[in-house]
Amino acid sequence: MATKTFDKETLLDLTVNMVPLVIILFFVVAFAIANPFGFESLTSGIQYGLLIAPFVLLAVLTYLSGKAIAGAEQSGTVYPPGQATVPGVGPLHEEEATEASELEESDSPGAVEAAEETA
Amino acid sequence: MEVNGQLALTVLMGVFLIAVAAWLARVEDWRSYTPLAGGGTVGGTAEQYVSEEKPSGVIRWLTTVDHKDIGILYGAYALVAFAVGGLMVVVMRIELADPASTVISNTFYNSLLTSHGITMLFLFGTPIIAAFSNYFIPLLIGADDMAFPRINAIAFWLLPPAALLIWAGFFPIPDVIPAQTAWTMYTPLSAGAGSGNQMNAGVDLMLLGLHLSGVSATMGSINFIATIFTERDEKVSWANLDIFSWTVLTQSGLILFAFPLLGSAILMLLLDRNFGTMFFSVDGGAILWQHLFWFFGHPEVYILVLPPMGIVSLVLPRFAGRRLFGFKFVVYSTLAIGVLSFGVWAHHMFATGIDPRLRASFMAVSLAIAIPSAVKTFNWITTMWNGKIRLTTPMLFCIGFVSNFILGGVTGVFLASIPVDLILHDTYYVVGHFHYIVMGAIAFAGFAGIYYWFPIYTGRMYQVTLGKWHFWLSMIGTNVTFFAMILLGYGGMPRRYATYLPQFATLHQIATVGALILLAGQIIFVWNFVQSWLEGRKVEDGDPWGLAEENLVTAEWTWFERKLQTAVTDGGEEEELATDGGNPVADADAESAADDE
Repeated sequence: MATKTFDKETLLDLTVNMVPLVIILFFVVAFAIANPFGFESLTSGIQYGLLIAPFVLLAVLTYLSGKAIAGAEQSGTVYPPGQATVPGVGPLHEEEATEASELEESDSPGAVEAAEETA
Repeated sequence: MEVNGQLALTVLMGVFLIAVAAWLARVEDWRSYTPLAGGGTVGGTAEQYVSEEKPSGVIRWLTTVDHKDIGILYGAYALVAFAVGGLMVVVMRIELADPASTVISNTFYNSLLTSHGITMLFLFGTPIIAAFSNYFIPLLIGADDMAFPRINAIAFWLLPPAALLIWAGFFPIPDVIPAQTAWTMYTPLSAGAGSGNQMNAGVDLMLLGLHLSGVSATMGSINFIATIFTERDEKVSWANLDIFSWTVLTQSGLILFAFPLLGSAILMLLLDRNFGTMFFSVDGGAILWQHLFWFFGHPEVYILVLPPMGIVSLVLPRFAGRRLFGFKFVVYSTLAIGVLSFGVWAHHMFATGIDPRLRASFMAVSLAIAIPSAVKTFNWITTMWNGKIRLTTPMLFCIGFVSNFILGGVTGVFLASIPVDLILHDTYYVVGHFHYIVMGAIAFAGFAGIYYWFPIYTGRMYQVTLGKWHFWLSMIGTNVTFFAMILLGYGGMPRRYATYLPQFATLHQIATVGALILLAGQIIFVWNFVQSWLEGRKVEDGDPWGLAEENLVTAEWTWFERKLQTAVTDGGEEEELATDGGNPVADADAESAADDE
């Protein structure tokens, strides 16, 4: 795994798909430990295949999509989704910085008083 | 002699087809019509491609390849189908107000049940999504049009004949009766076996219509994949693609893998019915059909729900005054649903007696797929948390979507568990569960989109009060109808029957009242939609929702702004009308429509 593409932020984003992967993995182990219906090569093979195939496919798609998105973030300017071509909308980090500063301003005591007065 | 005659006929037909092809090739210079992605043309220069003017009247709509026009065609088609499917179920619910068969016959009930399902899923659900995606995805990603505009038009024009074939049994055609197979078309009933009447041509026509709609959806999906991959503006990278395009891209991938399988299964069924093959009549044939059907059928659920999730993810933050919380979580969970949806199909078959080891695996993946859906739900709720919420009509429908989706989703998680499913299988609980999703969520997101983008595709604003009446009647009607169904299921009421035991009468009557409330809401919607389109207040601002204030304007609204400015430049400003006394009056419709806040 290319560590530069998959930085901490990207890995954190990908945790959302780790959860279903872990659930599937849990059942793979659980069915190996507790198998009340016995083992039969064909049926049990399909049983594990039905778990392993989605696991592998989801892992591959998550890797590829993570790589595409994180790669695009590194190679070009990132705008807010759906707003790249909107005039006056700057890169995402600038927009977020503006929003954060606005939030801080609104959290200042003066703003709170003003809000209370309005209420 | 007979063989020679057939041979002669075949040769004659071949010659005829070649003659038709030759005539078609000569009648017009077709190459001059072939646009390429780069804007050039095959065998000519870019200047030869003429597209600046559209014909007027009906010819415009019959010949258009403009993605926006095709989007409107899809929308009109879907709403007509929604009305047909809705009226069908109103008749069914009126019949179900009484335990006995009183208004319609049992067989006609079965016919309506079948057509209601197929109409709502294939003729309303998929096309209404295509309406939004055709109109808005090229605008959102900065493309000039779809990658293949003519394939786009063909994909739409396959749908009207598909509808005629699916509904053919209801038309006054001698000896043709409607299919009564339910939308799942389980064999051996749908293969025409036994002493029933399902060997009728009406079933064949329905199957052909369904196949045609599948071909249409597949062509559309290829177009969307090509468009989103290759036609994006330079600035629109994978990192800043909007959420609606992500969901449509995933949906298109699902269609590409699911619908051809349905097409193959339908052809096998048609061969069994008409050409003596025995795919589904030998041992294991019935279970084979169920496997083939549900391998398509479960992804179909996500084909229908992912783009509506995209609409809600796009619209809801605009009226919460902030960006979507955890945008990338929503993207990745959409992709996760796309993959996992192909690994859960046999949870529809827990009660068929398949091997318990296989059942266990399907249960495991079914439980896993609940996570990405739940993630989205928490993201929508967190986006609204402490936001500046404006309860406009589209926002109300988005919130209604989230609410109904939770009810439909949680009831679905229980069904994923084998022991619970064995008790509730084939009861009204299942009907209540999936209607919370298809009506309460998918249709609600459709309405959110219809209201949110109404100014763009009509240039006018809808009537706000009527919009809110529509929402509240729909919300109340949905919950009254489908919660009653969940309770009916707990009581053991089996699904699909035209008659029932008297002990279920009260809950059935409540469900019927709910359906009538829904009907009232939809009548208001139709009135509002048509009247506002014709006479509503004209929108003169490219940002009618005031999104610029929070810096939440997306690309389609900037296109709309440009369009308004261009219209003024081209045609000049409209003169104000004067009354008899000489005083200018405002547009009369403006008074009837207030700002939607």
